[in-house]
Amino acid sequence: MASQENVQATMSTKLVTATTTLQPSFEQFSSILADKFVGYLDYLNNIPGGTIVLRYIKSSYKNDPVRSLFELCLFILACNYFLSSKKKENRSDILDFSEKEIDELCRQWEPAPLVEKLGPQKSWDLRCTPEIKGHNGAMVQVTTPHIGERVKAVNLASSDFLNLNESEAVSSAAKSCISTCGVGSCGPPNFYGTQDVHVRLEEDLSEYLDTEQAILYGQDFTTAGSVIAAFLKRGDLCVVDSGISLALQKALVVSRCDLEWYDHNDMDHLDRILSELSPILDKQKPIRRRFIVTEALFSNYGDIADLPKIVELKNKYKYRLFLDETLSIGVLGDTGKGLPEYYGVPRSEIAITIGSFALSFAASGGFCVGVTPMIHHQRISSLAYVFSASLAPFSAKSASSAIKEITTKTNSQGKSVLISSLHEKTSYLYNQLKKTLTNRFFSIVSSPESPIIHLSLDKEYRKRLNLPIFYGNTEFLLNGKPARKSNGFSQRYNLESYILQKVIDEVLIRENILLTRSKNALDHENLPVANPHLLIMVNVAVSFEALDKLVKTLEDISHEMSHKIRNQEDLQILEQELLTY
Amino acid sequence: MSYKIPNAPVDTRSPEELAEREYGRLKSDDYLYVSRHPVGEPLPTPVDDEPPYIIYISTYISYLILIIIGHIRDFFGKIFKPQDYEDLVEKNGYAPWYDGFESFYVRRLKLRIDDCFARPIHGVPGRFVKCFDRFRSSNLRYTYTGTSTECLNLSSYNYLGFAQSQGVCTSTALKCVDDYGTSACSPRAHCGTTDLHRECERVVAEYLNQDDSIVISQGYGTNANLFASLVDPECLIISDELNHASIRFGIRLSGASVKVFKHNDMNDLNKLIRNSIAQGQPRTHRSWKKIIIAVEGLYSMEGNMVNLPEIVRLKEKYRCYLFVDEAHSIGALGPEGRGVCDYFSIPHSKIDVLMGTFTKSFGATGGYISGKQELIDALRINYITNIYGESVPPPILGQIISSLNVLTGKLNKGEGVERLKRIAFNSRYLRLGLKRLGFIVYGSDDSPVIPLLLFLPAKMPAVSRLLYDCNIAVVVVGYPATPLSSSRVRLCVSSALTKEDLDYVLTKFSEIGDLTYLKFSSGIAGGSKIPGEPPRWSIEEVLEHNTEDCKKPKLT
Ligand SMILES: Cc1ncc(COP(=O)(O)O)c(C=O)c1O
Repeated sequence: MASQENVQATMSTKLVTATTTLQPSFEQFSSILADKFVGYLDYLNNIPGGTIVLRYIKSSYKNDPVRSLFELCLFILACNYFLSSKKKENRSDILDFSEKEIDELCRQWEPAPLVEKLGPQKSWDLRCTPEIKGHNGAMVQVTTPHIGERVKAVNLASSDFLNLNESEAVSSAAKSCISTCGVGSCGPPNFYGTQDVHVRLEEDLSEYLDTEQAILYGQDFTTAGSVIAAFLKRGDLCVVDSGISLALQKALVVSRCDLEWYDHNDMDHLDRILSELSPILDKQKPIRRRFIVTEALFSNYGDIADLPKIVELKNKYKYRLFLDETLSIGVLGDTGKGLPEYYGVPRSEIAITIGSFALSFAASGGFCVGVTPMIHHQRISSLAYVFSASLAPFSAKSASSAIKEITTKTNSQGKSVLISSLHEKTSYLYNQLKKTLTNRFFSIVSSPESPIIHLSLDKEYRKRLNLPIFYGNTEFLLNGKPARKSNGFSQRYNLESYILQKVIDEVLIRENILLTRSKNALDHENLPVANPHLLIMVNVAVSFEALDKLVKTLEDISHEMSHKIRNQEDLQILEQELLTY
Repeated sequence: MSYKIPNAPVDTRSPEELAEREYGRLKSDDYLYVSRHPVGEPLPTPVDDEPPYIIYISTYISYLILIIIGHIRDFFGKIFKPQDYEDLVEKNGYAPWYDGFESFYVRRLKLRIDDCFARPIHGVPGRFVKCFDRFRSSNLRYTYTGTSTECLNLSSYNYLGFAQSQGVCTSTALKCVDDYGTSACSPRAHCGTTDLHRECERVVAEYLNQDDSIVISQGYGTNANLFASLVDPECLIISDELNHASIRFGIRLSGASVKVFKHNDMNDLNKLIRNSIAQGQPRTHRSWKKIIIAVEGLYSMEGNMVNLPEIVRLKEKYRCYLFVDEAHSIGALGPEGRGVCDYFSIPHSKIDVLMGTFTKSFGATGGYISGKQELIDALRINYITNIYGESVPPPILGQIISSLNVLTGKLNKGEGVERLKRIAFNSRYLRLGLKRLGFIVYGSDDSPVIPLLLFLPAKMPAVSRLLYDCNIAVVVVGYPATPLSSSRVRLCVSSALTKEDLDYVLTKFSEIGDLTYLKFSSGIAGGSKIPGEPPRWSIEEVLEHNTEDCKKPKLT
């Protein structure tokens, strides 16, 4: 994580640039320059016609040679700019070759293959993907190449937490829409791709989340990249949590804005950074856009952001807040309205909220909500909105009906029935696991509220196996620019994933319960990557008995595993085993 | 009457009648054609006709006037109506959401013709599209009457007419909701892979004669993160200057070096490849690790095709890799609808990365990547849209699988062939007709995208509104999507249209062309009755000969 010294180092360079102003000795310097310049100008007398030019220059600027010098410099700069912009590449950098030499060079050039062939060390991962036969829901028929077919497995690997994919209301809404609108929308929203169902969903969503407006995107994963790039340009500033998901990382890379990182969920650190930045920013004219960027429920760690504190800080230092609620909408809060509802903070404190319909809403696509001018700007300049077909109408309809399912069925305290059932199951499982997983193989890293329970190999245990604290690299945190070289293959990451896969397989074999683990494209991660986690995704339709069974097996398995894999030698055995997975 | 966009009004027409409005019945086998490029023949360079100089001059003057007036209005507006500019100035220490300069074009030019964009619709965007009736009650507000008007649809990407609410594809999609639900529930690697996903990927790969494929839930998202998985900063991507925003976004995100060649200019490409290999990487002059050429199959703003035979020759000669985005060409081109490769009779395997979307021809959404097994295997574990993004919802997979099966004849034998032949015929029919009437149209003869040049910005709203009044829905595009001086109407032809529809379109275009002075082609792009003279056929003459003439090898 961003260590304090490093952040301070970057801060101090910032301070230097900000305080570099014109020194008082400027006047002396300019008068010397002016003398010299006039001296050179006199040479013009020697050139035929030069006298006229000289007289013109002197009279036109009332003998203010500094000004002429200044204009001359500007002129030369402008010329230089226009000439060089035609030839971007530095001329001196271009080697001269004859046609024959080029032919020869082309013949000699040996290109690398388009992709590296997957070796057995990587390809085992391909065989871990479970294939669901038929309806995806709380109970599934699942096949994996390693285990074979399992009929009626309990599914704790799906992010459809509310089990709305099996809801009669949602699917009949989808079906009625397909019967009137077809499947695809056949056009971008601005070109006859906006249908009444899209508008209804935008209204439903903004009412549900209590904002002015909403905008829909065709896919959740591209939403962040498109929204951030529409507002943040070079020169704008983002103060970012260093635990954000890959989608946000890529979005920030593309936007090219200035970045400051605060340690994951560390509010003191955030406060320090903001207060250190504020004297510089106070001088800024005109003010540039400034954002604090964070996820609500972190997909990498399963913990939640401290919203009240962030809101307090952002108001104090005048930042806008960008909140990624991809995982928390339909999960947190009494009626699933996300992190603000959970903390009782009004949604209006959050400038930009993005989220997904593909998880709790059992539909597809992403969205962004906020104030009218912000949404309006996206309709014209957000790339994934303008240059892509709009969301399939039936998906919009399903999402609308999912919102209805969540909000209309409430219990006596005004809580959504579905959501409170999710909360109940989540905290039950969390507490049971907390109670039983005491043998120092697994530890829970996620917050009690998270319906995705993250189990990590225990810290001490990992130390014994000599596994690193984190994977990936810290380049982006320290220098504000992602590393040029991607992370490359990590055998230890691979092995750690493999240990978790063995647990997953055992759970499926013994108890017929499907779990999953964090699956990252390590190559593409720009931030330090947490060690692989075993993920249990709570589903409202899974019974308490099944959860009990899971807890029991996990206890047994972790016991066995911690005996089987004790030290680094055991890891080497796994290395061989993995090749034949 | 309301400011709110209304719900779809109830439609009481019979299913047969509705089906006819979504996909017109074929009246005669004369209206069919097979599109294919004669093997060995070089691709004719599409001739871009030039309008008289006066048009260019008045175009620039128009923009000048618009810009000057815009600035004057901004100047006085900021003084007298500051509330209109609230969004552009700092407020309580917060920067505005966007800059005034950045939004000038939108506020001062686009806003004037805002009614030509984003017309809300309901129902199937098939042969007809149902647009809600509205009128503008203030700058940013429309009043909706609650009714809608059916317009002939030349705007939606519905090349093969699969946008339907009845028929085998729709039934399959409905069945998928029953059998699989509305959502895939999870990214692919967790539990978002069903047997339907696998089947779809197999069907797509088979259709494209490739080893394997990956389907993604959005075409834009397919490109946006693809390149990062193929290249690193020591690689070079050579990209066509008119490539789609998603490709450019993907390239930018990949961090590789990028060089741009002139649109479809093979000499420029050749020179660029040679020089790049010879020079190597900037500064260090180390040789490039690999070079990928990125092109589109059919350019959606220009209507022309990539010169695939030549590019394949170049890429093989210099051992570069080739990425082709078939968003608009898959389904719409080639005797079997298998895209540009099919059209040019080039084996699909010659293309290293075949990308395409299901949005345009198949009435679904999403995109795919297909190629050799090695590539797809690598992408499955190293392609972030596939790993972190949502997986494709089942009904969409149903639509993709069934529409591809219709095209290959596995479902409803004969229907697929008819669709393919109709799009080929319709494209040529409309293009030839417009050419002969004297319009300037861009693009290749067989392209289902027909850009008709307007040049003057004021003609965009004029043509769009006049056509809308005749119940024809078209898309107008201008700066910044096109160069400043070449605003255009983009017509997307569909198999769903009948010959009578196209005759109606031609008649109306002819009238509107006379009214707005759009018939100013010089004849160098063909269409002349008497060689050497500008083509100015009367509408009767055009309609009389069009059916035979559009089936001749060259459209003249
Ligand atoms: C060349 C190209 N690629 C990709 C896309 C994006 O496809 P989708 O609309 O499915 O996101 C488009 C759509 O306009 C396109 O023209």
